[in-house]
Amino acid sequence: MARPSIKDPLALTLSCRLAAHPDSRCWFVAWSPSGALLASCGGDRSVRVWGRQGENWVCQAVLGEGHQRTVRKVAWSLCGSYLASASFDATTCIWKKTPDGFECVTTLEGHENEVKSVAWSPSGSLLATCSRDKSVWIWEVDEEDEYECVSVLNSHTQDVKHVVWHPSQELLASASYDDTVKLYREEEDDWVCFTTLEGHESTVWGLAFDGAGRRLASCSDDRTVRIWSSDEQGEPGTGVACSSTEPSWKCICTLSGYHTRTIYDVAWCRLTGAVATACGDDAIRVFEEEPLAEPQHPTFALTAHMSRAHAQDVNCVAWNPAEPGLLASCSDDGEVAFWRYQRPECC
Amino acid sequence: MASVFSGALQLADLDDYIAPSQECVKPIKVEKKPGKAAAKIQIEDDGSYFQINQDGGTKKLEKAKITLNDCLACSGCITSAESVLITQQSHEELYKALSFNKTAAPSEQKLIVISVSPQSRASLAVRFKMNPLETAKKLTAFLKNLGVHYVFDTTFSRNFSLLESQREFVKRFRRQTEDKRALPMLASACPGWICYAEKTHGSFIIPYISTTKSPQQVMGSLIKGYFAEQQHLTPDQIYHVTVMPCYDKKLEASRPDFFNQQHQTREVDCVITTGEVLKLMEQEGVSLSDVSAAPLDTMFSSTAEEELLGHSGGGSGGYLEHIYRYAAKDLFGIEVAEVQYKPLKNKDFQEVTLEKDGVVLLQFALAYGFRNIQNLVQKLKRGKSPYHYVEVMACPSGCLNGGGQLRAEGESSKELLQQVEQSYESVRTETPEANGSIQELYEQWLGGTASNKAGKILHTEYHAVEKMSTGFNIKW
Repeated sequence: MARPSIKDPLALTLSCRLAAHPDSRCWFVAWSPSGALLASCGGDRSVRVWGRQGENWVCQAVLGEGHQRTVRKVAWSLCGSYLASASFDATTCIWKKTPDGFECVTTLEGHENEVKSVAWSPSGSLLATCSRDKSVWIWEVDEEDEYECVSVLNSHTQDVKHVVWHPSQELLASASYDDTVKLYREEEDDWVCFTTLEGHESTVWGLAFDGAGRRLASCSDDRTVRIWSSDEQGEPGTGVACSSTEPSWKCICTLSGYHTRTIYDVAWCRLTGAVATACGDDAIRVFEEEPLAEPQHPTFALTAHMSRAHAQDVNCVAWNPAEPGLLASCSDDGEVAFWRYQRPECC
Repeated sequence: MASVFSGALQLADLDDYIAPSQECVKPIKVEKKPGKAAAKIQIEDDGSYFQINQDGGTKKLEKAKITLNDCLACSGCITSAESVLITQQSHEELYKALSFNKTAAPSEQKLIVISVSPQSRASLAVRFKMNPLETAKKLTAFLKNLGVHYVFDTTFSRNFSLLESQREFVKRFRRQTEDKRALPMLASACPGWICYAEKTHGSFIIPYISTTKSPQQVMGSLIKGYFAEQQHLTPDQIYHVTVMPCYDKKLEASRPDFFNQQHQTREVDCVITTGEVLKLMEQEGVSLSDVSAAPLDTMFSSTAEEELLGHSGGGSGGYLEHIYRYAAKDLFGIEVAEVQYKPLKNKDFQEVTLEKDGVVLLQFALAYGFRNIQNLVQKLKRGKSPYHYVEVMACPSGCLNGGGQLRAEGESSKELLQQVEQSYESVRTETPEANGSIQELYEQWLGGTASNKAGKILHTEYHAVEKMSTGFNIKW
C-alpha cells in the first residue's frame, strides 16, 4: 500500500487547451516518437494531428475520410511515418505521412465488431489490434505495406479494451472487460498467451510498461492502479523473456484510495518514471515511486492531483517522449489539454 | 484457442431450446393478447416470471427462447449457435434413441446407423494404443453392444465428395473467362469455415465455395436415401448418427438444406464428437481395448479383404491433392507423380504449383486456421489471390486437430497430434476412381455421374446471413 503524501498543487500546470474534437468526445491522444506531433481521435470519426507553434498547438492535419464510426485509439509507428487508427467500424486504418499530410494506405478488416485499440511493436514489423469480439490480432507488415494476420488470440472471455507492446521485446499485453491482463509471445510459428494477470476486480482499461519493460502498470474500473513486475530470478537486466525459466509476473503494488471513479488510462513516463492517470472523476493524478523502498516492494506517492482537469471524464493521458514533464490529456468534453509537470521538491 | 469449438463444453439441460446468451441480439416476437393493458410482473425466487393481472390473478410467463434456426440465421454473433447445438446434438441424444428402441413397439423402433469418420478413429486408436483396423472392429463391437445396427465409415462417402469436387473444379476452370467468380474454388467440407463465410462475408464469398457436399452429408443422403430403400424403410425410420472430429459438424447436420421435409427427418440426425464417444465408453464402464472385435460392416465402408482404406493428401480429406492430380491430367494431360507442398508464412499455409515451361498452369493452396482464412479472404477482396483452388479448414493443422478430438493426457498436444497423424496415414490409400462400389452406386442410385439426380443429391447451396444492425449492443 502506498501512503498518501503531501501533494503540490503547482506540480501540474496547464499550458494549453484545445477544442480538439468539438461537440464530440476525444478518446485518445498519442505522441509521435520524436515528441513533435500529437495525434488525437474521437467520436467525430476523425483523427487530428497537432504541432507546436510557439507556445500553442495547432492542427496540422485532419484525417477524416477513413472511418465510418468513432475512432477509439491511434498509434504511431516507431519510425514516425505511419499512424494506425482503430475504429468502432470494425476496421483499422494505416495512414502514411506524406509531404502533403496523411494518406490512408491500408484498411485492415477482420474483427467482427468494434476495434478498441491498436499498437505497433518496437521493431515496427508487427501491429496488434483488439476488439469487442474478445480477440487480439497480430498483423505483420512487409516492405510493400502489405499486412498479413499472423495470429488471432482468443484468450480473453470478454471485450478487449487495450493492447500495448513491451518497449524493447516482442511481448504483448492486453487488458479486458474480463478483469484480467494477458501477456503473449511468439512460440514456433504462432503467438500464445503465456500468462494471465489476475487481481483487478473490474474492467481493466489501460496498461503501460515502464521504460525498461520490467514493470507494467494497469488501471481499472475498480479504481485502483496495479503495478506488476516480472520475476527476474535475481538477475537484473536479463529482461522477461528468459528461455529457460518461465518469467512470472506478479503484482507488487496497488494504488488504491486515490481515485473516486473508473481509471481509464495510465501512462508511465520513460524519461522521469512518473506515472499519470486519467480518471472518470475528471481529474489527472501523478504518482512517483518513493526512492527508499525496495524494488520488489515499491511504494508510490501521489505528487500531483489536478481535480478539475477537464469538464468531463478524462479518457487518456500521454507523456511526451522527448520533453520531460510534458503531459497531454483528453476528455469526453472533446478537449485536449497540455500540462507541465514539475516534480515537487519533497520527493 | 483458435478453434471456435475446442473448449471443454459441458452438457446442461437437454432441450430443443436454450435461453439466449447474455449478448443475444435476436429480437424476440412476443404474442400480444388483446384486452390486457397494464399488468405487473413479479419475479419469483426460482427465477420464474409471473404476470399479475388487474383482477389480481397470476399467470406464469414464458421465458424467451431461441431455436437453433434463429441462431443460425442471425448475424449477431458467431458463437452462440454452438451452445445451442451442444444441447441439441449430444451423446445423450443417442442414448435416448437407444433406450427408446428398447421399450418401443417393434413397428416404432428405429434402425440405428452410425457412420464413423476416419479422423475420429485415428484419435481413438492413439488413445487405446491400437492400429486403425483393430480400433474400427472394436468400436463396431462397442456400438453394436449398445444396440446400434450398422457401423459405417465416412471414408466411403468421401469418395463421392472427392469425385464431385474434382469434376466441379474442372468445370469451373473451363468457365473462368466468362465467370469471374468461378475461381478460386474454395473447399466446402469444413462447416466451421462455411458458417464463418456465410455470416461474415456472405454474398461476396459464397460463389467461390464448392457446392459439393461434405462426406458427412453425402453419407446422410446415402443412408436416408439409397440404404433406406434397400432396407424397405422410410428415411424417418432410420436414426443416423455420425462420429466426427469436430463440433461444427453438428452445425452442418442441422442446416435446413439437409432436412427432408416430406419425412420430417434430417439426413444426419445426431452428430457426436470423438470425445463424446469416449464419454459413452466411460459411462458404460468400458475400455475399448477390452472389447472383443466384431467384423466390420462392409456395405458402406472403405475396406478390402479385412483392410481399411483411406485417401492420400492429409488428414483433412485430401481435397487439394485429388483435385490437383485430376485437373493436371484432365486439363493439361500431365500425370503428377508427387505433390510438392511449399510452406509459406506458417505450416498451415502451403502452396502447390504446377508449372510447364516456366508457365504456371495450376496454383493451389492449403489454408488452415482462422488467421490464414483471414489473409485468404482479404487477398480475395483485394483481387490479389493467385490461387485456382484452396483447401480451407477452420482448425489449425486441419481435421485431425479438430475441436472434438481427444485431448492430450500427459503428452504434449503437439506430440499427440503427430501420433494421430501417423495412425491416420498408416492406412493404405486408394483413389476414389478405383472403388468399384462407388461406380456401381453412381449407376444404381444416382443414374450416372452426369445425371440431375447426382447433381441434386451430391451438391448443396449456401446462404448469406444478412448483417443485423442494432444500436443495442454498443459498448465503449
